[in-house]
Amino acid sequence: MRCGQGIEARQVDELFINIDPIQAGGRLTADAMKAVVAYGDGYSVCDNCRKPNRLDYIAKPPIAEFHKDLATWLNMDAVRTVPGARRGFQAVAHTYVKKGDPVLLTSLSHYTEFLAVEESGGIAREIPANGQKLVTPDAAAEKIEAVKKEFSRAPVLAFIDHVDYQYGNMHDVAGIAKVCRQYDVPIVYNGAYTVGILPVDGKAMGVDFVVGSGHKSMAAPAPSGILAATAEREKEVFRTTAITGDVTNRTFGIKEPEMMGCTLMGVTLVGMMASFPHVKERTKHFDKELANHQLVMDALLSIAGTTCLSEYPRKHTMTRINTVESFDRIAETHKKRGYYLQSALEERGITGVIPGATKVWKFNTYGTTRKQAEHLARSFVEIARENGLSVKG
Amino acid sequence: MSKRAVDMTFQAIYTLTDLRALLRETAPTHEFDAKQREQAQRLLENLERQVGSLKQEMLK
Repeated sequence: MRCGQGIEARQVDELFINIDPIQAGGRLTADAMKAVVAYGDGYSVCDNCRKPNRLDYIAKPPIAEFHKDLATWLNMDAVRTVPGARRGFQAVAHTYVKKGDPVLLTSLSHYTEFLAVEESGGIAREIPANGQKLVTPDAAAEKIEAVKKEFSRAPVLAFIDHVDYQYGNMHDVAGIAKVCRQYDVPIVYNGAYTVGILPVDGKAMGVDFVVGSGHKSMAAPAPSGILAATAEREKEVFRTTAITGDVTNRTFGIKEPEMMGCTLMGVTLVGMMASFPHVKERTKHFDKELANHQLVMDALLSIAGTTCLSEYPRKHTMTRINTVESFDRIAETHKKRGYYLQSALEERGITGVIPGATKVWKFNTYGTTRKQAEHLARSFVEIARENGLSVKG
Repeated sequence: MSKRAVDMTFQAIYTLTDLRALLRETAPTHEFDAKQREQAQRLLENLERQVGSLKQEMLK
């Protein structure tokens, strides 16, 4: 079935249980799909844009109210929607980082944080994760001291991922933020895998900024995200334009340079808004998501030779698993080589594992029902048994 | 043509969207439990009614 010339209609999530590590939290709610239908036209949210002509002031649809609710929900003072978390990193880096400034990241930071620093001329310095692949407050303090020795000043900014993309491990952001505050280092909380997934309280963690991803974790269309700030930082990152044209003498009202004027228009924003009540509610039930994930983990770990590379017990539904001594051993002699696992999963209506991956791979069970989690667990065990792997229990 | 025809078009798409959500929730087997079966039946009846209204509005 096609939805346009040469464009196959995508039916992945209707036909399969999709455990792709980055797609799980961004699946649209039914309300978001309905909003996509109604607000697909380019400038659809601008019908009722009135003075002062800025996206976050629009009352119909209730965009202004949504911004206020979002800030309250995150326990921050101001928020803007942005085209993806990366644009949030970029806005903050561009505000605080000048050429040659040291910036604190971690050995598990997402590449877009590095690019945001690079674009502003900053120099990346990473807090190393420990043997358990966790970034600790002590390691943060050590790195800040090292940066002070190297640059004769503290880093101008720190980016800390609450849950990292490599292992799905949960890092002590509150502890790291406490250390950063002692050195007056503003801290950006990267909530790409948490905002919209589990409860996030910016002020309780003591961070200056909260960045979230709409398409990764807030059941919103791509590209979408949020950037929230404290009252102190709001004036800096969301400063308004001061430029004047020398010929026309034009000025540009309350447009914000870091946001390049209006940010998310149309379907991305209204999709995020439509999902928001459901997203708020689902974060209260993260324990159920973890219970479903554990069911699948128990099944995987019952297969002899399989180990969990992420912290364990799991605190997040995205996990990095090592099947070198289990599924990969089968791949060595299987006629489909490494593709047998993906093929066997797809036969059972499961997708999202990288084709050919049998050594180390990631998966995410977020959003699955109990029945679907049981199907996943049963399927992994069945595939193992069918291929002669030993299964405990 | 009327506002009613437009409303019914959207309503029907939204009902289909709810059915789509049900397919996602029950993938890959699409085996419904009693509650889901009841929900599917209600949605399909609504859809029939909405399409009926659309016929009336668009073909009169």
